[in-house]
Amino acid sequence: MLHSLYLKTVRDRWLSASVGVASLFLVAWMGLWAYAGMGDEALKFIATMPPAYKSLTGTTADAGVAGLMLGQMFNFLGPFVIAGIGISMGAGAIAGEESRRTMSVLSSVPRSRSGLLASKGLAIATIVTLSSAVASLSYLLGVAIVGEDIRSLDLVAGTAHLTAVALFYATVAFAIGAATGLKGLASGVATGYLVLSFLAVGFLPLFSGWESVAKFFPWYVLNGSQPLVDGIVWAQIAILLSLTAVLAFGAWWGINRRDLREGESRAPVVIRLKSNPRFAVISARLSGAGSARSIVAKTLSDVRAVTIIAGGGLFLLLVVMGPMFTAMADSLGNIVDAMPQALLAMVGFADYSSPTGWYHGEALSVTAPVAISVVTIAAGMALAREEANRTIAILLSAPISRYAVAWRKAAVLALLATLMGVVVFGGIAVGNLIAGLGMDYSHIATAGLLSIGLGCVLGAVAFLAGALSGKTSIAMGSATGVAILGWGINSFVAVNPDLEGYARLSPFYYYANNFPLENGLIWWHLVVLIGAAAVLVSGGVWGYARRDLRG
Amino acid sequence: MNDSPAIETIGLTKKFGDFTAVDDVSLHIERGEIVGFLGPNGAGKSTTIKSILDLIRPTSGRCEVLGMDSRRDAVEIRRHLGFLPADLALYPNLTGHQTIEFLGNLRGGVDWTWVGSLAERFDADLSKKVAEYSSGNRQKIGLIQAFMHRPTVVILDEPIAGLDPLVQLEFHSLMRKYVQQGNTIFLSSHTISEVERVADRVAFIRRGHLIAVERMSELQDKALRRITLEFAQPVPPSIFDEVEGVHEVTATGATITAQYEGTMTPLLQVATAHDVVSISSASVDLDQIFLEFYRDEVEAVEAVEAANEPDREEAVRDEAGSGEVT
Repeated sequence: MLHSLYLKTVRDRWLSASVGVASLFLVAWMGLWAYAGMGDEALKFIATMPPAYKSLTGTTADAGVAGLMLGQMFNFLGPFVIAGIGISMGAGAIAGEESRRTMSVLSSVPRSRSGLLASKGLAIATIVTLSSAVASLSYLLGVAIVGEDIRSLDLVAGTAHLTAVALFYATVAFAIGAATGLKGLASGVATGYLVLSFLAVGFLPLFSGWESVAKFFPWYVLNGSQPLVDGIVWAQIAILLSLTAVLAFGAWWGINRRDLREGESRAPVVIRLKSNPRFAVISARLSGAGSARSIVAKTLSDVRAVTIIAGGGLFLLLVVMGPMFTAMADSLGNIVDAMPQALLAMVGFADYSSPTGWYHGEALSVTAPVAISVVTIAAGMALAREEANRTIAILLSAPISRYAVAWRKAAVLALLATLMGVVVFGGIAVGNLIAGLGMDYSHIATAGLLSIGLGCVLGAVAFLAGALSGKTSIAMGSATGVAILGWGINSFVAVNPDLEGYARLSPFYYYANNFPLENGLIWWHLVVLIGAAAVLVSGGVWGYARRDLRG
Repeated sequence: MNDSPAIETIGLTKKFGDFTAVDDVSLHIERGEIVGFLGPNGAGKSTTIKSILDLIRPTSGRCEVLGMDSRRDAVEIRRHLGFLPADLALYPNLTGHQTIEFLGNLRGGVDWTWVGSLAERFDADLSKKVAEYSSGNRQKIGLIQAFMHRPTVVILDEPIAGLDPLVQLEFHSLMRKYVQQGNTIFLSSHTISEVERVADRVAFIRRGHLIAVERMSELQDKALRRITLEFAQPVPPSIFDEVEGVHEVTATGATITAQYEGTMTPLLQVATAHDVVSISSASVDLDQIFLEFYRDEVEAVEAVEAANEPDREEAVRDEAGSGEVT
């Protein structure tokens, strides 16, 4: 049985893992293609890169353009995608079986909970390790296609470090899911920890005296020790794997000491927490009482928790970045002064020595799009979720047309995209105000408007895919794929002026390519984003009204 | 509202790729009756219901509810329709009351006094979140929402799943009273006794084909009956082989048991040629009728069992021989 369960878990996940790895390959290949197309021009820029930047990306001048691109893949995109796959598996391993009501069948066979846990754990380790290895091999293929040389880079070391980090975060989710039976809590905490680690390792070294604190975050193992350059650091791998083992022990301890659940009923731990008046207030406001007023209100309440966490977190980050810039202006100036402006522009970063560049590079390039897409993709999936949860039958027993249901769900998407745009504008505006950075408020409003446009497009992709398929996995996969590929195209392909036309295929081009905080609005960029979203949503509504519904 | 049938399907056909789930089903349900809808798993019951509700679209043919086209007039139909899906799914983060409120807000015109009386009737606690309900309590919420707007037509798919016997009784009583007011209930169920208890007519569907629609009373009248004949001396069962309408003849000593349909006269003519000591006859319940309609499926199951029987006997012999017990 344990062998069967292991194989089933691997089979259930191999496709989504393959899609993730294929996305990584495409981004890597596009970047390599763009850099290679620049020839000596790119190599000259890399040769002039300051040690600080090369340290951050874990690359060397000897490694050429391939080293720059692979630094991005091993230190940024790859860990997010592969750890994300691991977290998704880890959170769903035990808690997912409980919420799908399949745990009662599994636990009726004569096998222990420990055996069940081991099968699931091994399946996670297999998928994470294979994804990491295959992604690395695919980068070699990309390098070979564009004819670059990466002999000075230690890809095995990079893969080993990345795998260890991804396994660690997957096990965080695995342990929480096994100990509580709460899939949402497990994936939420593990993802939050992953993002926090990424931000901490990126930000803390910029503060004098805080450099060593970054070492306490697992993300540090990726680029702090520069495995691509210096090879495997066995001590770091050993520490991380030991911590992973401790978490796995926690999973074993947890699952053997609690009642298993069936279905959606609340876990005892949450019931206990809810009996605490303080937590009950927070919990009710966060996940809360769903609204029964209308489809729009109900759908808004369904995504309230993710909106509050992602929107609130982004707002706070944007606000504190203002004073942070003031505090760090001197050291930022030193680092950035050493970097050629053309290079910074080429790799998608703005001039960090200016407040507009600081906000663009540190918030609008990655963090804000991630927060915006998390919220709007969740909103875009709401229509498909009615079918996945089989509530569409009861919803459509009311005298309301499919068009009306679909348009109301699309309205929620537009509302939440607007909300996230307001968050972007509000956060940067408040940060600007309290730190006296002197940024133009109309330009800040432009960033907010383009954030609305980006959110609408990414959410609309999820909406279209969900409306046509009725499957949340397809909705999320499509939107996430467009987000990753779009980001990759704009970040890497656009650096080669000869290939800039391709970048216009990406929504990120219209969102960020003009550096809105610096240069303000190009009105048709906003029109393209909103127009594309309108076309996608209209297509989704049209298709939804014409097909057989699921569930 | 016009006097057209409550529900009508006209040549309804639904294909999923090469598989024909429902084939040329024409069903006519009048107002003011409870019609049971019976068939084994995969026979096409849910596909028919989903087509009537416009959740899926017919490959050919059409459905009408109260004279309105199920696709063109879907929204108007739903104003007059109550529906309880099989394997009911509700929103886990809403309480029972919020669920009713949400669906009530969507449709409007809900009589909350009636909702309160339904909740009381089913002994439903509406204060908890749906996620915390047992399946039976969740089913009560489903029943309340199906009846809350006093619909003219109610479609119920496996309505008593998870309900305790007391609530089932209350629900059956509600259904009877509800149709007496001129409303219609279309009841898809695997629980044959439930259909037998409440339905005025029964529709049987098999492998996508509607094979019979019968009034319950007529079905019982003309359907199979069981007869037991006690003879003075044993007689061979084969004497009934050629008798029209006689099935399942078995002999135990001098007693012959058989099932028959239609008139008893031909059977009695053959039987009374011998020395009959006593005769007793009884109606066959709907279970037997159901099995009769699905004789092919029953025979297929029996054939598989018969084919497995030698293996089983062999296994038993082997076990006995080895002296091991597993």
